[in-house]
Amino acid sequence: MKLSVEWLKEFVGFDCSIDELAKSLTMAGLEVEDIVTYSPDELARLGGGREGPSGPVFDVKVTPNRGDWLSVIGVAREAAAILATKLTVSEATAEGAPPPTSSAIEVTIVAPDLCRRYAAGLVRNVTIKESPDWLRNRLIMAGMRPINNIVDITNYVMIEYGQPLHAFDYHLLRGAEIIVRRAAPEEVMATIDGQQRELSSDMLMIADRDRAVAVAGVMGGADTEVAETTRDVLIESANFDPVSIRRTSKTLGLTTESSYRFERAVDPSITVAALKRAAELMRDLADGEIAEGVVDAYPAEIQPLTIELRPERANKLLGWNIEPCEMAQLLQLLGMSVRLNNPLQVTVPTFRSDITEEIDLIEEIARLHGFDKIETTLPESPSQGRECEVNLFEDRLRQLLLRCGAQEVMTHSIVDSSLVERTGLAERVVHIRNPLREDLSRLRVMLIPGLLETLSRNAAFGAKDLAIFEIGRVYHYGRDGLIAQNRSVAGALIGSQWAGAWNLDRSALEADFYLCKGVVDALLDSLEIREREYTAAQSPLLHPTRSAVVRSGGAEIGILGEVEASVRESFDLRGRPYVFELDFETLRFQAGRRRVYRPVARYPAIYRDLSVVVDEDRPYAEVRNAISEAGGEWIERVELREVYTGRPLSPGQKSLLLSLAFRSVERTLTDQIVNDQMARIKDRLTAELSAAIRGAE
Amino acid sequence: MSETGVRDSLDELKTAAKSSIAEASSLSELADIETTYLGRKGQLTQLLRGVGELPPEERPTFGRLVNEARAGLEQALADRRAALAETEGAQRLRAEALDVTLPGRFYTVGRQHPLSATMDRIKRIFLGLGYEIVDSPEIERYHYNFESLNYPEEHPAMDEQMSFYVTDDLLLRTQTTAVQARIMESRQPPLRICTMGRCYRSDEVDATHSHTFHQVDCFAVDEDITFADLKGTLYNFAREMFGPDTQVRFRPDYFPFVEPGAEVAITCVICGGEGCGVCKSTGWLELGGAGMIHPNVFRQVGIDPEQYSGFAFGLGIDRMPMMMYRIDDLRLFLENDIRFLRQV
Repeated sequence: MKLSVEWLKEFVGFDCSIDELAKSLTMAGLEVEDIVTYSPDELARLGGGREGPSGPVFDVKVTPNRGDWLSVIGVAREAAAILATKLTVSEATAEGAPPPTSSAIEVTIVAPDLCRRYAAGLVRNVTIKESPDWLRNRLIMAGMRPINNIVDITNYVMIEYGQPLHAFDYHLLRGAEIIVRRAAPEEVMATIDGQQRELSSDMLMIADRDRAVAVAGVMGGADTEVAETTRDVLIESANFDPVSIRRTSKTLGLTTESSYRFERAVDPSITVAALKRAAELMRDLADGEIAEGVVDAYPAEIQPLTIELRPERANKLLGWNIEPCEMAQLLQLLGMSVRLNNPLQVTVPTFRSDITEEIDLIEEIARLHGFDKIETTLPESPSQGRECEVNLFEDRLRQLLLRCGAQEVMTHSIVDSSLVERTGLAERVVHIRNPLREDLSRLRVMLIPGLLETLSRNAAFGAKDLAIFEIGRVYHYGRDGLIAQNRSVAGALIGSQWAGAWNLDRSALEADFYLCKGVVDALLDSLEIREREYTAAQSPLLHPTRSAVVRSGGAEIGILGEVEASVRESFDLRGRPYVFELDFETLRFQAGRRRVYRPVARYPAIYRDLSVVVDEDRPYAEVRNAISEAGGEWIERVELREVYTGRPLSPGQKSLLLSLAFRSVERTLTDQIVNDQMARIKDRLTAELSAAIRGAE
Repeated sequence: MSETGVRDSLDELKTAAKSSIAEASSLSELADIETTYLGRKGQLTQLLRGVGELPPEERPTFGRLVNEARAGLEQALADRRAALAETEGAQRLRAEALDVTLPGRFYTVGRQHPLSATMDRIKRIFLGLGYEIVDSPEIERYHYNFESLNYPEEHPAMDEQMSFYVTDDLLLRTQTTAVQARIMESRQPPLRICTMGRCYRSDEVDATHSHTFHQVDCFAVDEDITFADLKGTLYNFAREMFGPDTQVRFRPDYFPFVEPGAEVAITCVICGGEGCGVCKSTGWLELGGAGMIHPNVFRQVGIDPEQYSGFAFGLGIDRMPMMMYRIDDLRLFLENDIRFLRQV
């Protein structure tokens, strides 16, 4: 909210500088965000007058609980409390002439739950014209646009008192009646902004005998708007239910200065005072004649609340020690009356509807006395700090992947639809109902697309060789219809993984499927997930014949492989990216928890080479497993040295060169034993896998 | 053979040997020379064998002369060998020489993301203060995000928390504070809880705003927790995080779930409080919100606010590395430009 400092000075005097006042207000919770100074020239340019006031304007940020600060008087009251000085507000009397307002209008509140008070006052024979310079300037400095004297006065009083007002052209109201009621089903009304509004039955309306004439507290109707031809003005000053106004405003998509204030609660005690102030201004600035009296429908008068405050409770909670009488003084500065009993009996004025219990008073004391006067202590800790298991495991994975050389990234969880469509999981995607934009309405279901997007963005900047990983949440509907939001861990590799490798063959440096698998293996090894099985994967993101799903103990851990060509192209990636994504919870469940030392062998190993020729599409894993099984208890390691196809092999064949190590932890093995084992291995390979052993005797 | 004849051939041999030693250009050549003269079938050895032909009285003299010659040659060989070894070694080193200014080879080393690194630092501080770090869901129930935090129905306070809804009841949490009631309804004080992670608000993205941001939330509930404890805890955190000279400012602010409520700011890390462009000349940088847990929050979870009190605070994580590294654009964090990530 904006208000000119000279307007503020009308209600509170101060000796300090404007900057100091701004700082004091800020430190009391009424933040002065900005101070802008208006020159007479600038005001004139904006439709004001050179003769009117000018100067500094406070732009204050009012917290949602303090609707009472949304006015010049409200801010002045706070300043007076902080500076311990007096607030001067002269009450308008608005002496009127017969016939009285009550003879011209009848007010009926049909919905007292939504309207606590409704006052109406009549001003006759007004002259519609431009407002004087001083009023226009103050409105402009408050960020409003001057229209004509009547409309300007309603706005002016709203800013001054915080009480939204509305002016009807009295003669356009039918039946000399104001009815405050809910909208009828399918009722429509044109508001003064020219929009046709469809109303719903939970909205509060101001109606005359025949129709709605205003959306209560939000905006007036076009039919009864004040215009050049208006002679008599009916001023509405009312108090509406904050929740109802907020709902209506949201439903209509219409926020006004009026609705903004009503949402934040308006003091029900100023309804008539503000109306009288407006009437006097219309008398003075529009040559109007005030009708005698106001019609004030106030079904249940709101009484100030009295709350008990235990000074010792306040001191205990704040961690300081101030005297009850000092607390009372602070509360009195804020307009409260205090009876010095123990506990203190504090009566809260109606403009402070935010204060309803003891803690609210404690806050007021702390706020006004100053948070800086509270000391600083550290509470004793009942136990030592403890990290949760999920985070510990996340850290473990992060450290492992960093050691693999990968760069950690963090990508958005709210993603473009194109990033989820290719995952093959589109039907399980979680949607945002009210997205910022339609293309940002989905939550990521996998991390891989975000990583590919990251590779793509970096490639555009020239970084074509990368290894990245992310550990983050992914979201999807489970089979039970509930949303799962577990973590996932994924990585992506593209191009060379080496820096400064000028003296090695480039092709040996490029990331490929086996580097990607190597990272996954290293990760699983470190997590002590030994039993694992790689089989062909079926993911729309991955190359159909260059991808795998990895399982352990029957559970699917994740997928890895080369990115499918069209996916790669859709991300505008030139090279071939390799990716993996593993399920965090499965890893956590499968990871070894306790390690037990196994004795290191003290006897020498015997090494044997083995060259096996098999059909080209025979998976290596089958050869390896056959060797491990047939090799007996002493086979320590099976290591693949080379895979060869081509001459002199027949087409469709490949040879595998393996190095085997045999070792016993109990004794030195003899050649004879190892020869027997090798013979068994060879028999097994020839019998089960139709393998030929090359170089066999 | 006469004595003179023998002596002459000895001198001849010595001269010839010495000159070939001097001319030898490699260690292997020198080894050959050694064999030629001093080997078992070498010339000097042969000469010594000829001693038998001399008269007995001359034999000792001749023997001495030969041995002197042998010692002389051995010395010459050793000297030459040392000289040659030195040269040859130098040559070998020259041949093996590398350009040490050529680049080294290593796989590209990754770094932790600045946000996750910041979260680690924050965690360490609160672990040190005895906090228990808990995990908390991002897709949260309306109840925990708002209701349990004392947000009245249809309150303007929610305007600052424009939410993304997934269903009527589920939303993307707008604040990590949502974890409070989850913990408090299932556990009894004393509590020292810390959680951190992603939050979402329906905000357009620009240099200082994003629909996705990160927060850390802590709360402490015990029999005598005071506002002074809140101040002390945040002072401690700020100094650990931003340096020992950091000052902390508490300014009254409003959050429905705390009372008294405060905005927490630290002295600008750039100018130290003097006022600069980063702190918009105020000298202060806002960290987040804090306050004493509102009795209504306690009442909803069945904790007696007369017996227990507590404080809570929530701080923006993204701002911290922004301050520390003078990053001027929030978007950089989730864009993952490697040129950015390798710097911070």
